[in-house]
Amino acid sequence: MRSIRFFLYGIPALLVVILIAAFVNATFLSVSKKNEMSIGTLGEPSTLNPIQQADSAASEVAGMMFNGLLKYSRDLEIIGDLATDWTLSQESTFRFQNHEEALKSRDFLNTLLSSSPALPVTGLEVQEDRLIVQLRQAGLHDSEQIFKSLWDFNYNPLPFPALAKGEKPSPFLAEPILRFHLRKNVRWHDGAPFTAADVAFTYHAIMDDRVASPRRSDFELVSSLTVPSPYEVVVRYRKPFSPALASWMQSILPAHLLEKVDPAKWPEIYNRHPIGTGPFKFDSWKTNERIRLVKNPDYFLGSPWLDSIVFRVLPDPLTLQLAFQTKQVDFWGVQPWAVKGLENDPRFELFSAPGNMYNYIGWNLRRPMFQDLRVRQALAQAVNVPQMIKYIIYGRGVQSNGIYTPQVWFYDPKVKPLSYDPKASKSLLDQAGWKPGPDGIRVKDGKRLSFTLLANNGNEVRRDISTLVQDDLKQVGIEVKVEVYEWAVLLKRFVNKGEFDAIVLGWGLGYDFDQYAIWDSSQTHPEELNFIGYSNPKVDRLLSDLRQEYNRPEIIRMAGELQQTIYDDQPYLFLFVPEGTSVMWKGAYRIRRPGRNPGEWIDTPVTMTKAGWSCDMEWFYRPEYPPQVKGSKP
Amino acid sequence: MSTLIQGISQTGQSRFLTRFRSNPFAIPSVLMILVFVVIAVGTALLSSFGHQWPCDPNLTNLEQKLLPPSSLHWLGTDNLGRDVLSRMLHGAYISLTVGVVAVSVSLGIGVLVGAVSGYFGGMTDQILMRTVDALLCFPTFFLILTVVAILGPSLLNIVIIIGLVSWTGTARLVRAEFLTLRETEYVKGARVLGQKSWKIIMHHILPNAAAPILVTAILGIPDAILSEAGLSFLGFGVQPPQATWGNIIADGKTYLLYAWWLNLFPGLAILIASLSFYLAGDALREAAEGRD
Amino acid sequence: MESFIIRRLGLSLVLLFIISIISFFIVTLTPGSPYPWGELNPKISAEVKANFRKKFHLDRPLPEQYALTMRDLFTGNLRSIKDDRPVMSRIMERLPATLALNVTSILISLSFGTLIGVAAARYAGSWQEVTGSFITFIFIALPGFWISYLLATVLVTNFGVPILGTQSYGIDFPNATAEWLDRLWHLLVPATVLALGGIAAQSRYLRATMIGTMKEDYIRTARAKGLQEDVVLFKHALRNSIRPIISGIGMLLPALISGAVIVENIFAYPGMGRLGYEAVLERDYPTLVALNFVVAALVLLGNLISDILSAAVDPRVRLE
Repeated sequence: MRSIRFFLYGIPALLVVILIAAFVNATFLSVSKKNEMSIGTLGEPSTLNPIQQADSAASEVAGMMFNGLLKYSRDLEIIGDLATDWTLSQESTFRFQNHEEALKSRDFLNTLLSSSPALPVTGLEVQEDRLIVQLRQAGLHDSEQIFKSLWDFNYNPLPFPALAKGEKPSPFLAEPILRFHLRKNVRWHDGAPFTAADVAFTYHAIMDDRVASPRRSDFELVSSLTVPSPYEVVVRYRKPFSPALASWMQSILPAHLLEKVDPAKWPEIYNRHPIGTGPFKFDSWKTNERIRLVKNPDYFLGSPWLDSIVFRVLPDPLTLQLAFQTKQVDFWGVQPWAVKGLENDPRFELFSAPGNMYNYIGWNLRRPMFQDLRVRQALAQAVNVPQMIKYIIYGRGVQSNGIYTPQVWFYDPKVKPLSYDPKASKSLLDQAGWKPGPDGIRVKDGKRLSFTLLANNGNEVRRDISTLVQDDLKQVGIEVKVEVYEWAVLLKRFVNKGEFDAIVLGWGLGYDFDQYAIWDSSQTHPEELNFIGYSNPKVDRLLSDLRQEYNRPEIIRMAGELQQTIYDDQPYLFLFVPEGTSVMWKGAYRIRRPGRNPGEWIDTPVTMTKAGWSCDMEWFYRPEYPPQVKGSKP
Repeated sequence: MSTLIQGISQTGQSRFLTRFRSNPFAIPSVLMILVFVVIAVGTALLSSFGHQWPCDPNLTNLEQKLLPPSSLHWLGTDNLGRDVLSRMLHGAYISLTVGVVAVSVSLGIGVLVGAVSGYFGGMTDQILMRTVDALLCFPTFFLILTVVAILGPSLLNIVIIIGLVSWTGTARLVRAEFLTLRETEYVKGARVLGQKSWKIIMHHILPNAAAPILVTAILGIPDAILSEAGLSFLGFGVQPPQATWGNIIADGKTYLLYAWWLNLFPGLAILIASLSFYLAGDALREAAEGRD
Repeated sequence: MESFIIRRLGLSLVLLFIISIISFFIVTLTPGSPYPWGELNPKISAEVKANFRKKFHLDRPLPEQYALTMRDLFTGNLRSIKDDRPVMSRIMERLPATLALNVTSILISLSFGTLIGVAAARYAGSWQEVTGSFITFIFIALPGFWISYLLATVLVTNFGVPILGTQSYGIDFPNATAEWLDRLWHLLVPATVLALGGIAAQSRYLRATMIGTMKEDYIRTARAKGLQEDVVLFKHALRNSIRPIISGIGMLLPALISGAVIVENIFAYPGMGRLGYEAVLERDYPTLVALNFVVAALVLLGNLISDILSAAVDPRVRLE
């Protein structure tokens, strides 16, 4: 009897007491902060192995623990990371009938070179029937010029058979060579020295079928990778491929730990507790909750100021914001609509930078109604993009004018976006033969101008875009039905098969000018990325030329032409480029980084750079825990 | 109501009504349900005649986005400037439809399976009940999520799926009723007279099991409404721009700290509607079970 | 007794088999792209994708996939598509958090539910009881996600207390007590939200059965003997009503894990509900199949144990 009563009243009372105590305790907690940074992410990394991951959450975490040979500077220029410097050269090979012909052509070239020193040739060599020309720079241009001179003077090189199926035989071989010199003072987190063998291992691992690395396509054109000395790596490519340089930002894996292990075992022995060379070391991972990294005091650029970094996995955007407000998360990637409320709040600091992605509506060009350029132009002019920018992203963004975003160096600002003009839109539709029908929807040959617009759920911006497009197009007599699907379903049912009318999507493509996979007419098969079925021979030519061009002004010229040509075709309705904004509690962090001169330290507030706010994380510090070195104002 | 009253012996009818009325929640909850039904049907009827009251639920007006409640927009506007009150009124129709249709589906399957299982017994019973057991072991929500992904998120599909995963309780209940009723004198008598099985089921057993079945049905409606709201909340719900109470909250969830009205009012609507059904169902159950 | 156990065990295995088939086919019919990377990535070639499908047997016919999946499940080789780890270790690492959340939630709903139910039976008909009933019905009718959001927002904006995950981060705890209370706090908030429906169900059930039992002859006899009302209530009525509740706990598990999906997502709590939800979104077929299987196995085991226990305790339960 007594025991029943005890349980009946006692347990609830106990629970209430504990709850109150825990609540009171929680209200006192935010007082003493550790020297630890907390970053919130919506998604959880799949793996921390940098050659097996392709999700942004994973690369954000792994980026703190690993280094590539190269990296982007704060201004998005490519600079050395594990490599101190690098050179790019090329070997061009010409084939002749026999050894004598080759010798003769070498002598001819020698005389030619003495008369025209503009050619960047550094050496000539004959091997059997081949003449090998060493060039100071890569690309097709110089080799073509040599080929032309040889041909003009009747030294006729023989063509080489095609390298791959579907390609033409080439008149000569042009093999770019990248040579990296590596840092000598770098150690892995377990103390082992970093050498060129690690680079070679990483390359071979990426190409290993058992690893199934998503990075593979970056390295497919590598013909050999050699290690002439422990601190030197030489990479030879089968043909010119200018995006290849950036691929060496790929994080390097430790050969001494993984070389002798079957990749099937990596998930257990490495992927969830990796060893890297970066400023932070892996500490622990509580699944679905957090990953903790601690500082690497032996980092080759110096020990970071912070003791540790915690990446917290918070799957819901609202709770991420709540975590920020309780100071459980130090940085928060704000949605545009929230910026308005935070901007004038003296407690917070906001950083904005032009985004690296654009939103668009892709028209399926296999559908007859979208094959008429006039219709696509009419669609573009009927949609009020400035209004979208104003209300969906609160003015935090710019109208997109094509396939590149404004902060990359090959972006062409001269491409003028089409203006919002419903009248022009209506007359274009009239010209194209679409006349208003009885219900206000335009009709041509008995078919109504009506289509389904797809979007994925969970993305508020795209959902709002689809609703507004529906409204705007109704004004000019076009009926739009909106359907929203789960991301995986959207891809499987519609995008991968190329079976849809129109779709709202966005591309965030990094800083790469090469967009072959998205626009080339050969990439329209199921599961390929030219899912709208776009095809323009001029674009195809520009795309392949661009991939073989190493000369910066030339790249800028061709990229501009590509951007203009595609924009003129309106295969997408290019919408807008939103800004990325992060918010921090005011003064929560500062940066003290090394200056140009040894021993000099520069102290700055946290600012947004072209490469985002989070570069140089090793030099972030909390003012409560000031660094040991004295800093000066920049 | 007629089947229910049939199900209770004629003399018990007035006693049943008295008992029902004596429950303090019975009358208010039934009235509340009626209000919701009138609103839902009224809005649907009006809009089918081309009158959108108070205004078009899908009319966007970006200049008036995220306005707090005012005399113009009684419950404020959402992130695209749509009137929340209009959206909620249209959402009432969807939510009630989901509730009623899903329950009909689950009732149909549940009664069929339960009746067959309870009446015939033996091997049929074994197989059906083991299937029910198997389904009861599934975490229902994953089942719904995966099936929505397979069939696609339309109103019809969602209703069917919610119905399909919620019939097991009804089946068990009906089976239990049938097991007892099968042994009653008049069923035995009917069997001796050589009546066909389905006739016995339809005429003798089912009417007598009507009361508990009706109670589960009414208690199932709010379950279905809440399931739909949960699905919409996770983005697996009805297609936009169609408004439901669940997806008004879902659309407004990111604005919660700035626009509380997007969350509060539809949430209250869900709460009050399902509360009314639960209270009415409970009053009905107590009255039918003969308690005071 | 032994033959009973063996028969029940056999039956459970048959059920498990049915469940595995149903869950495998429902799960694999789900359209989607089972790749761990975002699909629209220009860097990922068709060859890499094909390679990946082969690695996870996704290129085989469905019956063969089922056989391979089951073989791998029992040999412990079934791997998650997301991170290539054995699925059982992914499920097991959630087990402590899930158990903590669900046990706490069951504890809260049983203890408060019983208290409210007993009080409601004792004072049936009074205005206090009517108000109490009304409140418990509100608990059932509350949309879980709505109340979670409201609670989270109020706690954060009005009190500034951290509520996400299993503990606070970045804080120097003054002592171990503070740290443990912090963990308890992070457990109690979602557990309370999860328990609301349970409190209501438990109290309604108890009220109904207890009012029923109070009318039984033996209670009348007890009263007639002049026993105190409270003694009658606790000693006889409550004891009699509580047994079915204990044996029904096993069946609560799937509902709790389902119900926890939304709560775990909002409170960023690392439990099994979130694992399942993420697996659905990521089309992580192996994890989903295994998760359904494990939950079903746990439920069946729970039922078996509670059947055996109630048979052992109560000779009136026939072992058939």
